[in-house]
Amino acid sequence: MDTAFIILSLITVGGAVWAVTLRNLMHAVLSLVLFFFGIAGFFFYLNADFVGWVQILVYVGAVAILAIFAIMLTHNLTAEDEPEFFSLRWLTGLAVAGAVGAVLWFAIKNNTAMSQVAPVGVASNVADIGRKMMTDWVVPFEVVSLLLTAALIGSIVIAMEQISHRK
Amino acid sequence: MTTLAHFQILASLLFAIGLFGAVTRRNAIIVLLSIEIMFNAANLSLVAFWRYSPHPEQLSGVMFAIFGIAISAAEAAVGLALVIVIYRYYKSIQVDEMRTLKG
Repeated sequence: MDTAFIILSLITVGGAVWAVTLRNLMHAVLSLVLFFFGIAGFFFYLNADFVGWVQILVYVGAVAILAIFAIMLTHNLTAEDEPEFFSLRWLTGLAVAGAVGAVLWFAIKNNTAMSQVAPVGVASNVADIGRKMMTDWVVPFEVVSLLLTAALIGSIVIAMEQISHRK
Repeated sequence: MTTLAHFQILASLLFAIGLFGAVTRRNAIIVLLSIEIMFNAANLSLVAFWRYSPHPEQLSGVMFAIFGIAISAAEAAVGLALVIVIYRYYKSIQVDEMRTLKG
């Protein structure tokens, strides 16, 4: 482990823990932005520059702003009746997440192929990604563009339904 | 030296944190954002596998991560639109108050 990995791990784990435990919703979303930046840092660290920039544009630029708008539109800044620390609900969640995490950790620990070090000179440049996307991955690319169009129209229709009923 | 196992253990830890938030919190917005944490953990895992793979020129992990980001953005848009409609109907976004279908 080197220093960059440790710092980025602290940023992402801290941001994720704050995002799921803080009671003030705006603070939770801001910790989530910290988490998204940490993940983008990991993508840069892994030489996947394009994915890192997409992460910053889509998550920090769009998803976080969308979540802040949803919080402001629902007038619900503080969640008063969130479960207390060490309540039954909290402990059940901890047990479920702990069990899933333990199974994954066990599988990773017992896999000898996981202990290799990083090969040198691996990088992704944008020209190669674009060429791959237009040749080998063109069908998934078209399907995703259809999915995004459907999601765009669908979210407008869902949010507009109530207005047409009110007339 | 950072090995592949370090990245995978970090990704599974982040996935577990997101799962904890999704099953524990009552606010629907935070539940959606916990699902985003799980998506990000999966993307980190895929990109780490690409970085350590014997055929990085195939760019498979990078492509998976890009498509995953696009799909999770669509999910977030539809999910938050649903949250707004649910708020208009129930005047609340606490997930345990939506029990019309409960027998």
